[in-house]
Amino acid sequence: MEKIINSANLKELFKNSGDIVKRPFNVGHAGITVHLFGVDGLMNTLMLDKTILYPLTSDENLKKLKTEREVMDYLLEGGAFHAFAIEEIDYEKTLRYILSGMAALVFDQEQKALIFDVRTFDKRSVSEPSDEGVMKGAKDSFIEVMRTNTVLIRRRVRSEYLVIEQLNAGKHSKTDIALVYLSNVAEMDTVNRIRDTINNMDIDNISTPAFIEEYLIDNRKSIFPQIMYTQRPDRVSANLTDGRVAVVVDGIPFVYILPCQLPMLMQSPEDYANHYFISSSLRIIRYIALILTLFLPAFYIAATTYQNQMLPVEIALSIQQAKQNVPFSSASEVLGLLIAFEILIEAGLRLPKTVGTAMSILGGLVVGQSAVEAKIVSPTVVVIVALAGIAGFILPNQDLSSGIRVTRFVMAVLAAVAGFFGLTAGLILLITHLCSLDNYGVAYMSPFVDVETSNHKDTLFRFPIKYFTKRSKKIAPENRIKQK
Amino acid sequence: MKIKLMIKVTTAYRFLFLFILTMILCGCTHDMSRREIDEINLIRVLGIDYDGNEYTLSALFNASGGSDPEGGAPEEEVTKGKGKTPYEAYENLKSKATKSISLGHTGYFLIGDGAAENGINLCLDFLSRDETIKMDALFFITKDTPASDFIEQGIENKQKIHEDLEAIRQKQEEMITRNDNTLVNLTNEMKQTYSSILIPYLIPEESSFLTPGYAVFDQYKLKDYLDEDTSTGINFIKNIIRNYPIYINDQVGLLISYSDTKLKTKLKDNNIEIIIQVDFESMIKEVNTEENIFNSEQLELLTQEQNKYLRNILDLAISYSKATGLDVFQIARMIEKQNIVQWQDFKSSFAESISDIKYKYVFHSKITKSFILGYDWNGNLLVKNERFVK
Repeated sequence: MEKIINSANLKELFKNSGDIVKRPFNVGHAGITVHLFGVDGLMNTLMLDKTILYPLTSDENLKKLKTEREVMDYLLEGGAFHAFAIEEIDYEKTLRYILSGMAALVFDQEQKALIFDVRTFDKRSVSEPSDEGVMKGAKDSFIEVMRTNTVLIRRRVRSEYLVIEQLNAGKHSKTDIALVYLSNVAEMDTVNRIRDTINNMDIDNISTPAFIEEYLIDNRKSIFPQIMYTQRPDRVSANLTDGRVAVVVDGIPFVYILPCQLPMLMQSPEDYANHYFISSSLRIIRYIALILTLFLPAFYIAATTYQNQMLPVEIALSIQQAKQNVPFSSASEVLGLLIAFEILIEAGLRLPKTVGTAMSILGGLVVGQSAVEAKIVSPTVVVIVALAGIAGFILPNQDLSSGIRVTRFVMAVLAAVAGFFGLTAGLILLITHLCSLDNYGVAYMSPFVDVETSNHKDTLFRFPIKYFTKRSKKIAPENRIKQK
Repeated sequence: MKIKLMIKVTTAYRFLFLFILTMILCGCTHDMSRREIDEINLIRVLGIDYDGNEYTLSALFNASGGSDPEGGAPEEEVTKGKGKTPYEAYENLKSKATKSISLGHTGYFLIGDGAAENGINLCLDFLSRDETIKMDALFFITKDTPASDFIEQGIENKQKIHEDLEAIRQKQEEMITRNDNTLVNLTNEMKQTYSSILIPYLIPEESSFLTPGYAVFDQYKLKDYLDEDTSTGINFIKNIIRNYPIYINDQVGLLISYSDTKLKTKLKDNNIEIIIQVDFESMIKEVNTEENIFNSEQLELLTQEQNKYLRNILDLAISYSKATGLDVFQIARMIEKQNIVQWQDFKSSFAESISDIKYKYVFHSKITKSFILGYDWNGNLLVKNERFVK
């Protein structure tokens, strides 16, 4: 079938689709027939009737027109009472507009279509972010509709330099993607790379986040997140003004931010709502929690199996006492309990909330306590694993938390095999891996590995805002001055 | 094509690296003697004795492997090992113990005077070669008693020996700024050719222990036990005093709260002169007299008295050093540092010159803060929180 815009082609294409509206209209007295195409349910029919169909059929001026071209021009110049109206000559684009919920008036002789945006569909209202809630700060969050999300960003960044590029990906899903950046701040090489990546994505469907994330990141083999996501428009706007690029995907209720570095994942929106001293203290606690969740189980295994002299004598004796009559080795206890902990988390995610609470009580308290009383595990191991688990939940980014959870197992196994030597080897490998990651030309461990001191003001400590005078050289090389 | 090949090679190298790493780690496991913590008896206190050409090691550990979670007191047990050398005795001890034993948590080593007389170096040698040993473990000499008897007597008296020793450590830290009787310090001192090793000695006192002073070693062998005042004099010269009480004529109690000793050495014509400058401050802690001591004349008098008191203490230590010819203050290092050129010619005759060293004293002292509340002996109202500075 030749890819020409005409009603016959479109009717043939959609002949088996029951939800596609295919309706002819006679316009005027010159025998001009216009065909309306659209998806039932995605169009606001009231708006369609009032703003397009009513003028089309009842406007006296239209009746006098003799050619399709004259009708098109008349409609475009105000005959149809609709703000978003374009003339389209591309067959593929026309199809995409129709399938995304717009109304297309097809003119067979002209082989063109007029597109009207009359989209409407059920959507969630803008509500409080479920994962990034703050006591002090904005309470709105992104939803599954791309346009609503770009509006939330535009509301916060009213700069004339804010660019929202409309892209499209997915051979079948034809998902709308918006590339958002500040043209006078962002590094254009990064923008171009992200745009090219999205345009070159050869994928059927973008149904879940991983479908786009894995294309956008540089090192797919790493389990550490190299793309930041957020539900919060204020966070996106802050990163845009820093020179980063946001990617808004239709159907995904959060926005991606690139380039992403590890310290970003350790920051919480609350950090910028509190006094800098309090924020810095909380951030330090977060880093301590990161170390605890990663190394505490491994440290316990190494200390109780190999180098027990590392422990203070009273703690060593206390562990000895707690471990009396427990049949398993420390490594088996810790690894077993870590697996049990993961099972509990997975079960908690799958179950309805009401059952989930009961399951937590049953799993955590009843089974845990019974296991200790039955001398299957020692109480110290329960404390260690629980502490490591809770510390993991302190991390603001769930992807980072998941990566750390997997790494925790690796560290525990290394400690079980070779004690502190294994733990040290694991630590060296981990640091080497993290330092080798590169994200759109910016080191993943930046600014920890940066020589530039101005970048260090928002890492381990959150300096007062007045010190945030410069943007990172790597992220915004052309426009570095933030404030004086 | 080339890139694909390179990726394959890199991946192969990565797997090879991981394989080698795993092998190395597994190989290390054997040498690192993997032992679960509950399969080890942690020795809390180790006694070393020597009698009849045989060493006896007495290991004190908690019988139940730790404190009782129900709150009951853990029992302490002693296991002994014998051998011709300390290490042989340790191996014998290992074979007799019900579980593996570890010196990794041993905080205190008690050396019986027999073993001390035979040579402290023999005891320290095997201990310092144990890779798990705590470098800050403390050493004590048990005066006139074998260490094993000392431990057994403590158990009979229902003492918690390691807790009593911990209390002694804390008391030491209240009086002096550092404990010089740690393993790391003693092994370091053994390397000093001219220095005499000093280790505090213990004596039993009802249901606890006391450390009156230092046991002095000459060439690694026990020579003497010093009394409390002489030991304090050494501490002043070594500049490790934190607090020290002074009682003047049974009337005024003072507490030295700050002390700083500087030694200046002069080496000329094979004569050594040492100037000991002691700067110290004390607080009035007790007044048992009807006289008003809170006036400038009385304070001046008290200051002179405290200087005199300190001079007497230092004299005791110096007299001992001169009489025995032992470098108990470890001044050889200081002379060497302050007189590098002359020391090269002098060092061979240093040992013989110790008795001829001339000492001079310089005291800078003051009586500072004192809180005087209420009325003096004559019924006069005293000013609160008065500060006296000479």
